[in-house]
Amino acid sequence: MKDNLAEKRTKVRLNGDLITSISTAVLALIVFSVTRDLSRLGVVFVNYVLVMMAVLSLVVFIKAFIKPERVIFFESVIERNNVLAGTSILLLYLIFLPFAGFLPSSYIFYFAFNTYLADEHRFSKRNLFQSMLISIIVVTAFYFIFGNLLGVPLPEGSWFDGE
Amino acid sequence: MDAILHGLLTVFIPTNFLFLFLGVFMGIVFGSLPGLTATMGLALLVPFTFTMSPAAGLIMLAGIYVGAMYGDAIPAVLINTPGTPAAIATTFDGFPLTQKGMAQHGLVAAAFASSCGSLVANGVLITAAPPLAAFSLKFGPPEYFWLGVFGLTIIASLSSGSMVKGFLAGTVGLILSAVGMAPIGGDVRLTFGFPELQAGIELIVALIGFFCLPEILSSVIGKRRAAYSDKPVTPKLAVIGEVIVSLIKKPVLMLRSSAIGTIIGFAPGAGGNIASMVSYNEAVRWDPNPEEYGKGTIKGVAASEAANSAMAPGSLIPLLTLGIPGSPPAAVILGALMLHGMRPGVELFTSYAEVTYAFIMALLVAAFLVTFIGSFGSYVFAQIINIPSRFLAPGIIFMTVLGSFAIRNNILDVWIMFVFGIVGFISNKLKFHPAPIVLGLILGPFVEEGLVKSMLAGQASGSIISYMVLRPISMVLIAMSLLSVFWPFYADWKAKRKKSQ
Repeated sequence: MKDNLAEKRTKVRLNGDLITSISTAVLALIVFSVTRDLSRLGVVFVNYVLVMMAVLSLVVFIKAFIKPERVIFFESVIERNNVLAGTSILLLYLIFLPFAGFLPSSYIFYFAFNTYLADEHRFSKRNLFQSMLISIIVVTAFYFIFGNLLGVPLPEGSWFDGE
Repeated sequence: MDAILHGLLTVFIPTNFLFLFLGVFMGIVFGSLPGLTATMGLALLVPFTFTMSPAAGLIMLAGIYVGAMYGDAIPAVLINTPGTPAAIATTFDGFPLTQKGMAQHGLVAAAFASSCGSLVANGVLITAAPPLAAFSLKFGPPEYFWLGVFGLTIIASLSSGSMVKGFLAGTVGLILSAVGMAPIGGDVRLTFGFPELQAGIELIVALIGFFCLPEILSSVIGKRRAAYSDKPVTPKLAVIGEVIVSLIKKPVLMLRSSAIGTIIGFAPGAGGNIASMVSYNEAVRWDPNPEEYGKGTIKGVAASEAANSAMAPGSLIPLLTLGIPGSPPAAVILGALMLHGMRPGVELFTSYAEVTYAFIMALLVAAFLVTFIGSFGSYVFAQIINIPSRFLAPGIIFMTVLGSFAIRNNILDVWIMFVFGIVGFISNKLKFHPAPIVLGLILGPFVEEGLVKSMLAGQASGSIISYMVLRPISMVLIAMSLLSVFWPFYADWKAKRKKSQ
């Protein structure tokens, strides 16, 4: 019963035009309010763009009531949960990257993501071993190619600064 | 003529040819990794070429430049992520081809078109460099403004669903392009307290965010597809011949795209991203079957790649003749020339003719190498897409993070990429496609700088409007912009009329 309700809620057809027009109008308002103290040369282009943005937002807003474009965000609850879980893993990686540094956080991210994307037996010994092995190989290879061979600086962790 | 032949022979000296091959290969690698660009590749290798003879050093740099112009198409076709901003239009048809199980077609088309573009532009470089360089100096602020506006009209072709929403997305991109320091006046805008944003939003970061992340979130993570593409790719040798023959049968498309790339290349600063988009737009406009574009056609990939590869030799025209680099990589090549004591101008074609023509010929030979490496390499590259998404997706996300960070060694760029990825995912669902946003972001600086400079110069000359409009090149660009905006309406009307008959 609860699942059915969640499924129904996920499949609600939203008015895409209404969301788009309101979002862009809000963006235009924010940009307008924070660019009023600029010099004439610095603001002239922004002003022209804001006028266009406001007019086009209004047109889409009107269309939202006359001939709206209905959209479904997710086909199922499972799809929604998958996207949320995947985004959360990436978010955690980005949060930990500047603290833990490139190698430790990347090993964990790669392992976690690989395990998460595996099939229903994701926590089997075989799967876990496979994920661990591939994360070590890929991350270490990238570390050497980017960091050592190409001399591209990689994020360093503040936890391991030693100061 | 003797100097040209001598230059060609210099390229085929075994060691020089090896350097060229290595250069092309490294260029492809640099171009294909999001976050690494042709400019970075050239800049990293210039110090090494200093110890070589001038000819060998410049030959290797030519290989890197040409290779990178093709390499950026590989991730654009396979994972919807342009390796460099110049390959943005390649994604429009390249990725749909991959989704149809035709990744190899896309890759071969990109390689062959890159070579064609490069060949045409090199032909122009060899035969008509000085007069074209002089013409490029006629591009003033109004011309750049109208060129930018013309580029923006491509939105009309890109947004087949709703043109109004397409242009609205374009304005969002233009606003994003205003983040950072104003090009004229130096005002710091829309940085919201982040000093890192004073330099603006890095293009490649936006490209990765808007194109790559939404696709992974939607199909791989959300729908749990076992593989990145709907159909597995089975590379075949026959595909190489099939695609090449099919493109040879479209000489107008190839020539037009190459010409657009060359012309935009020699306008200093315009760059490959504008070239590829203008060319794509023209391909859609003049094709008898425009509805095929955006759904996966090799014609779309070829139009984009021929133009951005033609831009490379095109940008060298003002560099070699006037010392004005037409693109960032050309600026690095200028540095390399200076390191070897060679000054751009007439001297380059007289005192240093041997080395200069060896360099130009290297660009030409590198174009053939690109076809060879790209076509046969497609056999390997295309199979990347068959890797189960469980292994491929974390690798791609990992590369997007690394690529975003590598550009400016800045963690804020990674966050911007992430935010753009989420925005791109949501806007895709809202049928508010992010391609026009990126287009606005790319063209915004051109339009703004052209506009503000024109306003200042126009005020000084008495009339802003006449200064901006009543110039021959400006008038041509205005006419082309109008044609570009209204063409889809005309094509639509024509199609409906045909249907009713």
